[in-house]
Amino acid sequence: MNDMRIVERDVDTNEVKIAAKDVQVFYGDTHAIKDVSVDIEDKTVTAFIGPSGCGKSTFLRCINRMNDTIDVCRVSGDIRIDSEDIYDAKVDPVQLRAKVGMVFQKPNPFPKSIYDNVAYGPRIHGLAKNKADLDDIVERSLRRGAIWDEVKDRLHAPGTGLSGGQQQRLCIARAVATEPEVLLMDEPCSALDPIATAQVEELIDELRKNYSVVIVTHSMQQAARVSQKTAFFHLGNLVEYGETGTIFTNPNDPRTESYITGRIG
Amino acid sequence: MNDQHIASAFDRDLEAIQAQIMKMGGLVENAILEAAISLETRDEERAEAVRRADKAIDTLEEIINEEAARVIALRAPTAIDLRLVLSVIKVSANLERIGDYAKNLAKRTSVLSQMAPVNDSAGALRRMAKEVERMLKDALDAYVSRDAELAQDVIDRDIEVDQMYNALFREFLTFMMEDPRNITACMHLHFIAKNIERMGDHVTSIAEQVVYLVTGTIPDEARNKGDKTSVTA
Repeated sequence: MNDMRIVERDVDTNEVKIAAKDVQVFYGDTHAIKDVSVDIEDKTVTAFIGPSGCGKSTFLRCINRMNDTIDVCRVSGDIRIDSEDIYDAKVDPVQLRAKVGMVFQKPNPFPKSIYDNVAYGPRIHGLAKNKADLDDIVERSLRRGAIWDEVKDRLHAPGTGLSGGQQQRLCIARAVATEPEVLLMDEPCSALDPIATAQVEELIDELRKNYSVVIVTHSMQQAARVSQKTAFFHLGNLVEYGETGTIFTNPNDPRTESYITGRIG
Repeated sequence: MNDQHIASAFDRDLEAIQAQIMKMGGLVENAILEAAISLETRDEERAEAVRRADKAIDTLEEIINEEAARVIALRAPTAIDLRLVLSVIKVSANLERIGDYAKNLAKRTSVLSQMAPVNDSAGALRRMAKEVERMLKDALDAYVSRDAELAQDVIDRDIEVDQMYNALFREFLTFMMEDPRNITACMHLHFIAKNIERMGDHVTSIAEQVVYLVTGTIPDEARNKGDKTSVTA
């Protein structure tokens, strides 16, 4: 039976990249994430869906310790990337973020040239031995960001001068320049038009050959289109986590069904 | 119109689902021919193989329906893509029915091979089945190449199958009136003829789906009906 299935949606590997166990997050007195345990696989796109305030972005931000920057935020539990506890006192969050790249909702290029936007990460992490090496990294990253052809003749023009969709792809190129192993995307397409969205989605599919991609999205259709695994969050709980096709055709939990069919939100 | 989606995975999904249809079509074509040959050559083993092979056809239909549901749920297809997915569901249902008729033909072969042959009717049925198989092949070719003209041609050819059925209907009636001992065999043969005629209708329906896929509208129902037995009998 299985060999007749459409293999496209199959997950390439079952290797766990990120293992979260009993994660709790508090903002002051607010219990934002309740006991979330999830194994996120390598070389897979995992989508987090759920209504506003359900905790999906908060959980995403735990994965590269972005919540450290919020004073009232407390995280407990265990998150491991490649079996290494990322909340261990020995872990340098800056190094962690080189390994776990992030792309935000609004494209946020630095007010620098296109070239420098991409070169910034490799420079501060000392990834390039010389100028030629850095040039290579910049070109490779921009190609991976599917934007090289559009910017190769104006690498020294400001990144902020690009269109929204181009800026977002530039940010993705910037995120992959440090050769991260995990790429977190928080609503990467919500500021983009449908064509730019389709281009970024195609790019995400491409990126999954090399990375573990975790994407938070309000668009259920987007989650359906780009991911192999989907996690549904509701009121701080991880309600259901499973293969995307199953979640969208025959979910287990009635809350998941209500949400994806537009009955609760 | 650009043939490719920006999301290449969408193209791969649609191609894969059509590949399944083609695979199913191949199995069904083979079932028609094999069933008809087993009838003519009174080869019970061959007939048995046709009956067994129907399982694979049924399984494929299930898979295709599942995949079509999945594509609708995950990709929200629109316009030509939506028509494609809808047509895939209908075509697979038609193919499955044709497969069932072939299986039924094979079943009757097992019974008929125990009786004395009735004239050259098995040969005539094989020719009729061959014609339906050719129509099916053309309908599937039209499906792959999005050829509405070829599909229309298939629709027009169904009248020939209907006429062959008419002729056989009369022939069987005559045999039965001549000698009541022929009745059992002729009843089976008549069902076979009717089933092949029904196969032709399902092929026509597939061809109509091709026209729908390409043009967005189902062709007029006003095609010539060659089956007059329901009025004359």
